[in-house]
Amino acid sequence: MRYILVLFLLFTPTIQANTINVCSSCSIKTIKEAVQLAKDGDTIFIKKGTYKETRIFINKSVHIIGENYPVIDAENKTDSVFAVKADNFSISGLKFINIGMSHTKEIAAIFVSHSNNFTIKDNIAENVFYGLILQRAKYGVVQNNRVHGRSDAKNETTAGNGVHVWKSSHIRIEQNELIGMRDGIYLEFVDKSFISNNTSLDNIRYGLHFMFSNHNEYHHNEFKNNGAGVAVMFSKFIKMHHNTFHYNWGTASYGLLLKEINDADIFNNVFEQNTIGINVDGCNRINYKENHFIRNGWAVKFTGGCYTNIFEYNNFMHNAFDLSYNSRLNDNKFEANYWSEYSGYDLDKDGIGDVPHRPVKLFSYVVNKTPEALVLLRSLFVDIINFSEKVSPVFTPDNLLDSKPLTDPVNPIYE
Amino acid sequence: MYICILKKISKMRLKASVFVVLLSLFFATSCKVEPKEINYGQDHCLLCDMTVVDKSHSAQYVTKKGRAYMFDAVECMVMKVNKDKNEDLMEFLLVADYANPGNLVDAKTATYLISEKIKSPMGANLSAFSSNETAKKFLNKNGGKLFNWDQLKIELSK
Repeated sequence: MRYILVLFLLFTPTIQANTINVCSSCSIKTIKEAVQLAKDGDTIFIKKGTYKETRIFINKSVHIIGENYPVIDAENKTDSVFAVKADNFSISGLKFINIGMSHTKEIAAIFVSHSNNFTIKDNIAENVFYGLILQRAKYGVVQNNRVHGRSDAKNETTAGNGVHVWKSSHIRIEQNELIGMRDGIYLEFVDKSFISNNTSLDNIRYGLHFMFSNHNEYHHNEFKNNGAGVAVMFSKFIKMHHNTFHYNWGTASYGLLLKEINDADIFNNVFEQNTIGINVDGCNRINYKENHFIRNGWAVKFTGGCYTNIFEYNNFMHNAFDLSYNSRLNDNKFEANYWSEYSGYDLDKDGIGDVPHRPVKLFSYVVNKTPEALVLLRSLFVDIINFSEKVSPVFTPDNLLDSKPLTDPVNPIYE
Repeated sequence: MYICILKKISKMRLKASVFVVLLSLFFATSCKVEPKEINYGQDHCLLCDMTVVDKSHSAQYVTKKGRAYMFDAVECMVMKVNKDKNEDLMEFLLVADYANPGNLVDAKTATYLISEKIKSPMGANLSAFSSNETAKKFLNKNGGKLFNWDQLKIELSK
């Protein structure tokens, strides 16, 4: 027994992490060289300076730390700066600029594939095609990075995504800032991931985009001034809460686009000044609770067959249309919401209006058929037909009503 | 007599001018059935409603009446045609040439490649090529399988 112990002690490899410094006056002048020299567990410090390097392959567990944001200039070459295929690595504190563009190749500041347990944080990427790409990755953290798209991306629709994740799981994307990309954050076949506290602005297509991704949660993000705020498509079990969707204006722009989504929870979000707050297309079993819809063109627009969408305790305030509907009610439910358009009364003062509210205006049907009719929105004639429809519904489903409209807003965010 | 001729001429002129006006009106209002420029970053896909941004995977069909509809991915157009069975109603079926981004080519004569290595917007890994040779080149480089239009419709209806 004692011998075994001695043997065990003799053959236990000594774990010793080294540090390697990289700078223009150091013995090691390039990052590539440092990575080649490094062993598993080593730390590479990159001192302030400019490094013109691409195609740095990392296949070992190293920690790369930039001091005072050293600049890595890819000089618009069509290669990623870091291509990582390793577990337990980290990259932080670097500034990447001028990542080249290609029609056929995904080029990023950091391209991670087949990797587990990693952290990418506190980096800046400017004038880039893609910011970060993660493929077949697990248990990764992407934190506090700032990604700016290429300056020519506004006209050029060949922009890439800020954080692009494909076939991965258990990824945390938090506190990042994504500006002027195609999609701020793009997830395709990504499961069990969290996206929180990110800011996604001025992106050409979506602030955040889910495709075929299940069991994810995104919260406390801000989506502003994008082509459309967030698109959640062909996905299941997504939780969306405490997000802000605003200023997504355009002919067919959305705060949130839901396309064939099942079993989602949407709560405590703010939808303000979007052409369409939420566009619901072919979605089932979704709970909408305590959301604020403020000054949108359409707060909620239903298209396609939808079942069991439950709206409770939401505030609909000053939207041109609170609700647009093009089919039968099915088993969707609108109950106990606050509607700023509600003109009923509450004699028993229990906070619930005594007469039901009909949120769908007849005119919204007309606009669905003939969008050009919208110019008549504020005309007296339209007011009259809306009123007469409210009194005796003929065209709108007569069971489409909120039987318990609230007389006061739920947790108002503005006084 | 003289006046009569003058009248006749003016009448003819009137007729001619009316004719010219009508003719020009006819040309001005007649809608030519032709493909439309895709407004990348603005147009929405008819099937999936996504914004069309990818110049190397977009597609478009134009009905015999001249209405053009855009698709963000070739697979969206194929699925739409499969779903609605409306291929006969189309004057043009066009797909973007992957090797030549932004260029729309005839869908029925194009060669299609499904390859894991080349991702497309709606997850079918499908791209289109105007020339068979180029498609083969990409096949050799990336692996996958080639299809023609009819085979592709069957493949995507599985």
